Amino acid sequence: MNSLAEKRFAYTILVGPAVVVYASVILFPILFSFTLGFTRWSGFGTPEWIGIQNYTRMLADPAFRIGLRNNMLIVGVSVFGQIPFGFLLAYIIYRKMVGAHSFFETVIFLPITVSAIVVAKLWNQIFSPAGVITQLMRIVRDDPRYVFAVFENRDLAIFPILGVIFWYYTGIYMVIFLANLHKISPDVIEASIMDGAKEHQILFRVILPQMTNIVFTTAVFAIAGSLKSFDLIFAMTGGGPARYTEVIAIYMYFNTFRYYNYGYGSAVSMMIVVLSLGLITMLLGVSRRFERRYS
Amino acid sequence: MGSTSLRHRKDMIAWRVFSYVFMAVFTFLAVAPLLWLTYSSLKPHPAIVRNIFAFPTEFYFTNYIVAWQRGQLGMLISNSIFYSVMATAITVVLALMAGYGLAKFGYRLSALVYTFFIMGLLVTAHSVLVPLFVMQTRIGLADTRLGVIIPYVGFGLPFMIYLATSYIRGIPDALEESARIDGASYLQTFWYVIRPIAAPVVATMTIFAFLANWNEFVFVFVLTSRQSLRSLPVGVNAFAGGMSRDYGLLFAALVIATIPMILFYLFFHEQLKRGFAAGAIKE
Repeated sequence: MNSLAEKRFAYTILVGPAVVVYASVILFPILFSFTLGFTRWSGFGTPEWIGIQNYTRMLADPAFRIGLRNNMLIVGVSVFGQIPFGFLLAYIIYRKMVGAHSFFETVIFLPITVSAIVVAKLWNQIFSPAGVITQLMRIVRDDPRYVFAVFENRDLAIFPILGVIFWYYTGIYMVIFLANLHKISPDVIEASIMDGAKEHQILFRVILPQMTNIVFTTAVFAIAGSLKSFDLIFAMTGGGPARYTEVIAIYMYFNTFRYYNYGYGSAVSMMIVVLSLGLITMLLGVSRRFERRYS
Repeated sequence: MGSTSLRHRKDMIAWRVFSYVFMAVFTFLAVAPLLWLTYSSLKPHPAIVRNIFAFPTEFYFTNYIVAWQRGQLGMLISNSIFYSVMATAITVVLALMAGYGLAKFGYRLSALVYTFFIMGLLVTAHSVLVPLFVMQTRIGLADTRLGVIIPYVGFGLPFMIYLATSYIRGIPDALEESARIDGASYLQTFWYVIRPIAAPVVATMTIFAFLANWNEFVFVFVLTSRQSLRSLPVGVNAFAGGMSRDYGLLFAALVIATIPMILFYLFFHEQLKRGFAAGAIKE
């Protein structure tokens, strides 16, 4: 075997298997899903072509809009809650403003190792009418009949979930930012202290401008991750009360596997892909404008 | 200069006070729920209801014995170990192989293939659930262990290939070339040169993939229906649904489900953090 053929053969052996698995689990199903999204199909018989009806029906469905709203709230918590707080935590550790920083780092990261299902069931008990918050409020308000019933309130039920999402994932952002902060040369900070810069000036004028790229990359993944949220909410409320805590992924799940609308479910899946690409494109647009202003 | 550093020191005091408060609050919030869960799991249900905050007066291990038996936690744990170990091993091997091909062969095709894998980072499991379920039902993979492992691998690959490729790109070409000059084939070079040098990234990949696979929920939930195939998260979810009347049992089950990963974290937190730091993936 000559060397060029050997190289090509080796390349096929090395890259081929990964491509095959990836294509069969992700690429092909997405194409399949895209096609199925234009049909009505219950899983049996032949899918019936109905054009864009699934999409028009989706946009008109109030339950879908609630899901969309909840997804956007989760994106909001990720981008405006987890990222700034994660950054601040990382910055405090990086500048060694506290002792025992590796202890703090390890502990704050801890929740992320717990499975989403356990997190959901744990916080469910905390928020339940007989749970921790109720008991705590009874002591604080000195009212033994107080009941915390947030999951019975349609408009408020999503907020404890947002809190749990914040609790669960902020540690990841801290770790990401910390790793990238360590790449910044300490000389830069030393020099600005010599120049008489105050600590907040170091943060906003020296460190943050160097981190904008990382912040935007992180935001891309935060958005993609937010639209993926399923396990936690599914195990916490199952989308209730009356579908008010549903996110799009749960909406998709119910339509497909409970009402057997495979075509419709596929259309919803495609919507998740479109939304995630749309939001990310928007974010990249913002980041480009931002970079131009900085440079 | 003395006055500037003095001014800076004063400024630092305010920051330090703020930092300690901020860190203390976060640490408390991170740990308190988990500690509360753990000590409450050692109280019988009536004691939890009577006083939700109190420490147990005596350790009530019955919760653990009953939860273990009724929740079939032993079976769930061994299923989870099986899925996680198999999927992690396959993912890491495939990703490392592909990473070498994509990083070092210099084919123009590689850029396309690499992009194609990276796009997968943005794909959610839910956007392929319907077709995956339909396909697996058709070819008889639904409700089998293999049918669970393949999607685990497929969804693990994008990030693992990203880690492997960027690491292997950093290996100097000279090392590989000298192996080639000594007459080694590309596959031999992969095995005897690249694989040993890539050991650190393999460690990060393995540990990161294992955590992700261990906590994976939706594939087992949708693609299997037999109870004997359930993984720990799926089984605990079902158990919690039926056991909501007895907090003691529920809490014991949750603690059992959490302990393996906490131990895992304590041993491997450096590698885990490196994995998270390399990219920003969350489910």
